[in-house]
Amino acid sequence: MDAAGERRQGAAAATFLAPATLVVMVMLMAPLLLLLRFSLNRYDRTELMIETVTGANYLRFFSDPFYIGVMRTTLAVAALSTLLCLLLGLPLAYRLARMQSRWKTACMLGIVLPLFIGSTVRMVGWMILFAHGGVIDAVARWFNGRGMEVMYTSFAVIAGIVSINLPFVVLTIQSTIETIDTRLEEAAGSLGAPPARMFWRIVWPLALPGTATAGILCFILAMNAYATPYLLGGPRFQMMAPLLYWEFSTNNNWPFASALALLLMTTTLLMTACANWIIPARYRA
Amino acid sequence: MTAFALSPSRLAANALVTVGAAVIFVPLVLTVYLSVFDETIIVFPPQGYTLAWYARILPEFGGALRTSGLTALGAATISLAVGIPAGIGLSRYRFRGRRAAVTLLLAPLTIPGVAIGLGIFVLAVLIEERTEWALSGSVWLMVAAHVLITLPWVVRLCLASLANHDRAAEEAAASLGATPLMVIWRVTLPAMRGGIVAGALFAFIVSFENLEMTLFLTAPGLTTLPIAVLSYLQYHIDPLIAAIAVAQIVLVGGALVLLDRQVRISRVAV
Repeated sequence: MDAAGERRQGAAAATFLAPATLVVMVMLMAPLLLLLRFSLNRYDRTELMIETVTGANYLRFFSDPFYIGVMRTTLAVAALSTLLCLLLGLPLAYRLARMQSRWKTACMLGIVLPLFIGSTVRMVGWMILFAHGGVIDAVARWFNGRGMEVMYTSFAVIAGIVSINLPFVVLTIQSTIETIDTRLEEAAGSLGAPPARMFWRIVWPLALPGTATAGILCFILAMNAYATPYLLGGPRFQMMAPLLYWEFSTNNNWPFASALALLLMTTTLLMTACANWIIPARYRA
Repeated sequence: MTAFALSPSRLAANALVTVGAAVIFVPLVLTVYLSVFDETIIVFPPQGYTLAWYARILPEFGGALRTSGLTALGAATISLAVGIPAGIGLSRYRFRGRRAAVTLLLAPLTIPGVAIGLGIFVLAVLIEERTEWALSGSVWLMVAAHVLITLPWVVRLCLASLANHDRAAEEAAASLGATPLMVIWRVTLPAMRGGIVAGALFAFIVSFENLEMTLFLTAPGLTTLPIAVLSYLQYHIDPLIAAIAVAQIVLVGGALVLLDRQVRISRVAV
């Protein structure tokens, strides 16, 4: 295409794209820039916010062990739940992808459905399991007479996040495995490879791009989780998203909340970039 | 294959599949079970079963449900009006910066919801201070914010529905004298019908269930269902909240089954 033609196409495309671009500019880019500006302001108990340019909010974050600890918890929970999601998601995705029966559509819908119910509503089930007097507590009481408190532990939070993110992971990996030719697996099998070897030598390398995408997606979602740590972790278990909301709503400290938002966003993007960098180029999606 | 039926690796794979399915579905099944308890707290086993909790959903959560429904309806409508042209533009033309445009329009999916929510709130407050237009805590701001997070889905689904679209039909219509708008109305839009239906439904659901961003945009008298459920759950877990969860599961499930006839949902959900 010549330059003039490309310019003509660009002009035509601009009319189609203008409204959507405007929405993203006004509702996403402008707010993020404003957060950047606010994060350099100073907080004051009486006047709430004093306009200035200072790095105090960022300094406060990096010099206070409490905030560093919250970030570390967030990263650890996100990393651990991502690992668990991949461990549980891979076999499930493989089974689904290689399913031939007429139940496949039903199973697929069963995996998609939880994605659209929302994290708050899905927490109800976990609270029934974990709550004082809930299923686990009741079963434990029946066995040992004392019961078992699972609510407000990091185990509860990780279980909740895994259950919310697992459908995403399964669907992403499943769609990659669908593209792998089954004859490759049959060939490996007929040449005498046991299923485990066949999986690691054939399916795993070919499924790696989708698996990596799924892992990154899961990590981002876990980093930003709000409802799960809030409800299952309780008041003492701190992760970034609930901490940010607390600084905003209870302390009215907008400058620090803005700094937290940008730190959370940057960390997430950095970790994503790192994952992209670690995964060998030939395996990338 | 039967020779390997009991090999350790196969057993391990089966165990992982079982645990994975349990992690996804056990909470949902428990929610359904609790929603018919004839108790006000969780007690195993309950003294009886009742459907009475479902009747209390509307009196207790009607307001939040209305706000959520109206917001989702408004956001989905505007999102379609803005996103369909964007989808057509992106699939029809090859121009410099096309990749950047796609990245920009899909960006709301990768930015943390709490960051978007806080940003939109402070922007609204700033505009409010300058113009005295009561923007923060208004339903308008809520709808506008929800348009942002539903837009990527509409754009993505419209793009996907045009992936195999043959432009020859559009050129034929144009050469027969149809105006450009007529071409879009009579040729392009019918061709992307599946994507538009899916986009509308996805937009509605994504808006309806959003929590993280919406947290920053609520006001007294303006609360969405997920936030009402969250603040209720903080203090009690009872069959009423389970009944609301089940009602939502049934509604979303029904919508997905209907939608599955239009497009393969599993293909577009990720």
